[in-house]
Amino acid sequence: MAQVSLRQIKKTYPNGFTAVHGVDLEIKDGEFMVFVGPSGCAKSTLLRMVAGLEKITGGEMWIGKKKVNDLAPKERGIAMVFQNYALYPHMKVYENLAFGLKLSGISKQEVDQRVRHAAELLEMTHLLDRFPKQLSGGQAQRVAVGRAIVKKPEVFLFDEPLSNLDAKLRASMRVRLTDLHRTLRDSGQAATSIYVTHDQVEAMTMGERICVLKEGRIQQVDTPTALYNRPANAFVASFIGSPEMNLIKTNLHQADGQIKVQLGTTQLALPATHTARLSNNKAADVIFGIRPEHIHFHARSQGDSLPLETTFRFMEHMGAEIFLYVSLGDTPLTVRMPAEEAEALAQLERGAPVQLHIQMSACHLFDGQSELSLLQP
Amino acid sequence: MYENKRLGFMFALPFVLGILFFKLFPFIASFALSLTQYDLIDPPQYVGLENYRELANNDPLFQQSLGVTLWFVILAVPLRVGFALLVAHVLNFKMRGINFFRAAFYIPSILGGSIAVAVLWRFIFAKHGLVNIALIKMGFEPVAWLADEHYSMVTIVLLFTWQFGSSMVIFLAALQNVPTSLYEAAECDGASKTVQFWRITVPLITPVIFFNMIMQMVHAFQEFNGPYMITEGGPLNSTYVLTLYIYDQSFKYFNLGYGAALSWVLFALVGALALISFWSSRYWVFYAGEKDNK
Amino acid sequence: MTAEEENNAKPPLMRYLILGCIAFLMLYPLIWLVGASFKTNSEIFSSAGFWPSKIEFSAYAAGWKTSSEYTFATYFINSFLITIPKIFVTLISCVMVAYAFARFDFYGKKILFGIMVSTMMLPLIILRMPQYLMFREFGWIDTYLPLIIPSAFATDTFFVFMLVQFLRAIPRDMEEAGMIDGCNAFQLLFHIIIPMLKPAIISVIVFQFIWTMNDFMGPLIYLASVENYPVSLALKMSIGATEEVEWRNVIAISVVALIPSIAVFFAAQKHFIEGATSSGVKG
Repeated sequence: MAQVSLRQIKKTYPNGFTAVHGVDLEIKDGEFMVFVGPSGCAKSTLLRMVAGLEKITGGEMWIGKKKVNDLAPKERGIAMVFQNYALYPHMKVYENLAFGLKLSGISKQEVDQRVRHAAELLEMTHLLDRFPKQLSGGQAQRVAVGRAIVKKPEVFLFDEPLSNLDAKLRASMRVRLTDLHRTLRDSGQAATSIYVTHDQVEAMTMGERICVLKEGRIQQVDTPTALYNRPANAFVASFIGSPEMNLIKTNLHQADGQIKVQLGTTQLALPATHTARLSNNKAADVIFGIRPEHIHFHARSQGDSLPLETTFRFMEHMGAEIFLYVSLGDTPLTVRMPAEEAEALAQLERGAPVQLHIQMSACHLFDGQSELSLLQP
Repeated sequence: MYENKRLGFMFALPFVLGILFFKLFPFIASFALSLTQYDLIDPPQYVGLENYRELANNDPLFQQSLGVTLWFVILAVPLRVGFALLVAHVLNFKMRGINFFRAAFYIPSILGGSIAVAVLWRFIFAKHGLVNIALIKMGFEPVAWLADEHYSMVTIVLLFTWQFGSSMVIFLAALQNVPTSLYEAAECDGASKTVQFWRITVPLITPVIFFNMIMQMVHAFQEFNGPYMITEGGPLNSTYVLTLYIYDQSFKYFNLGYGAALSWVLFALVGALALISFWSSRYWVFYAGEKDNK
Repeated sequence: MTAEEENNAKPPLMRYLILGCIAFLMLYPLIWLVGASFKTNSEIFSSAGFWPSKIEFSAYAAGWKTSSEYTFATYFINSFLITIPKIFVTLISCVMVAYAFARFDFYGKKILFGIMVSTMMLPLIILRMPQYLMFREFGWIDTYLPLIIPSAFATDTFFVFMLVQFLRAIPRDMEEAGMIDGCNAFQLLFHIIIPMLKPAIISVIVFQFIWTMNDFMGPLIYLASVENYPVSLALKMSIGATEEVEWRNVIAISVVALIPSIAVFFAAQKHFIEGATSSGVKG
């Protein structure tokens, strides 16, 4: 069993700075968990604490049935893939893969077997005789992954492995890694993985569960879909999803048994579903959130598409869709719509008025002070 | 502008002239000189390879000097380079006061070539010098460093090793160029600190090790001040390195032809060793260099 | 930091201890030298400790006066008369030549560079006698010319090499901007390149200063009259007669002899070490 358990994990540096504030997290056996967040959120620090490369100053870390706080990386049953590959430049690829195994006294035969198996899995058998400087970025990264696989670890740790690759390569490596993970897991091998990235697209596409971090604190841990549809706070709401969710600081007004939200000069009524979920929190001060794809040009027939007057700024043609940039007073809004709608908007000049419709049932509300979601599920 | 070959040559002109007059011409002249008998008073007399035959067959002092020189190089160079690497390794971590230590180790290497230090060295190894005083205090017998032909070599070897600072500084820079992530990967691979040093650090700095080794070897063969001032080549020629012999023959006894021949032997010796080192470097020096990929 | 951080808890103490011991052993002779210069003769030969029981300045005065007809004032002036001009001409020629190698293309560049690198590696004692004969022909014996003039022709290849490595690492952008502005080569050199070379130039000055002050064999071969002796020869002279050496005086004057070098070194410490390593690392 290779679950990873973080209990009240803290990291405080000698100079007094606290990077990680009491993190609690349970990672299931075989799960592909992604740590994501902006720079400085301590995701790498957390990963390195799991690895044993950073000292844990508070709390307990458990891998499987072992408490590993004081164990060296080698003794924790982990394998790490580094951002800059960290391949030994003076050893051939075969040696790079075999190095750690030979150190643990595994027989030459077994070593050879494991190395060749990993090479096959990653389609790099033809590279075994080369030196790292003769490899392309993608090939080097595969070797780094191979080095982790041959160790047959309990837990795989990935520290932003794709950041140094160009966009196209990143996309294909993403698929390869996810595929690899499922293959290993299906073949009965331990495949618990923790993957650190700052790229939310990687997180969303690869993660079975995602842990969103900000400044050393967990914001939310959930599946990609849940994070997308039910963000726990404004930070998660804006971090996940591209283009970003539109967030507007505004007020709620209660009148005639209806709760309305102030948007620009208009007040739009919240649907009954939302009003019911709006706990007893009578906060008038809120952050209103609506994803770009939930703002439409034409009213939807659902009846919860309420009109909003905005001012046109400009459009970006993305091929299958267009991104429309408008202003609501001083507030910029991003709208995402199918390319067919572009014709209707083609005549508009900057500053011209345009009416859009907000799909109210898809809106989010966050407390104006705490930024926590006001909508209980 | 930089493609202007004449302009470039003009800037390099001092060097070209310097090479011609002060290096190339003397170089050829010294070989010519080695084929003569010349004492500055009478005109030089051509004697062919007589000087070389003389030193090969008839000169026990040459044999002695050659042996002393080789012995000195074999002892002093590994000590100096080894120490430099070790200290650089110990010094290579985030620490306060690294500048202090770096300066402390570096100063001897810049002062060490001076006569002042040679004088000092002669003094501290004297019969009642600092070293013996310390030995006595620690309960050992004093040693006649400068008077005993078995120990005199130690004094000049120590002086040479004492100046390891310049090599150390170069090693330190090289060590700091090794990416930390390699050590982390090695740690995850289960490599102990010792394994990390021998299997990762050392292989990656072999170019620098090679450079230091060659430079120090050349310096060791040219060592003059120490043996001249501290032991004066003695006692009983136990520290009579080739440079001293060449100096004596050339400038003391004005046996110019013979001195030139001796210096050519030294030159050939160093040249041969350098060539062997370069040839061997193919097998153990690894250049990380540029990516030659795709 | 990382795993290093782990080590910062225990072995730094070990490291500091080791480093401290080595540094102490290395520097103690020098420190002791200073202390000894204030001691009496008998004390020098009996105690290994640093502090003199009574501070005596007489060694300095006596050493300075020396037993020759000149005081060390003469000898120091002589040393400077050699060193300062030498540094001057070294800088001019080495910068020019390094500029040529690092930037220009010219006839025989590769060969000359190869020659430069190989002369750095081969014993130069082989050239001493022919050079002596040559200077004798010129009538330069017993002057400082044989010590200074060769440096005017960039014969200190170590410096050329160091400057070339330094220059190679500097991008040509600013020079290209200068060229567009209409600068000729000398202007580029003077206004753009030399300011950028400052750390390396300081290294050259410091190294050449210390090495020239320490130079022994050169003056030994070329200088005949005592009044022309620099400090290095004067020191040797004071040991000359074997038995009755006034060690106190010799030690005092050795201390004084080392002061200029130490002063220059500390004055330029930062630039010094940067320059020294930049030439050696890229294999």
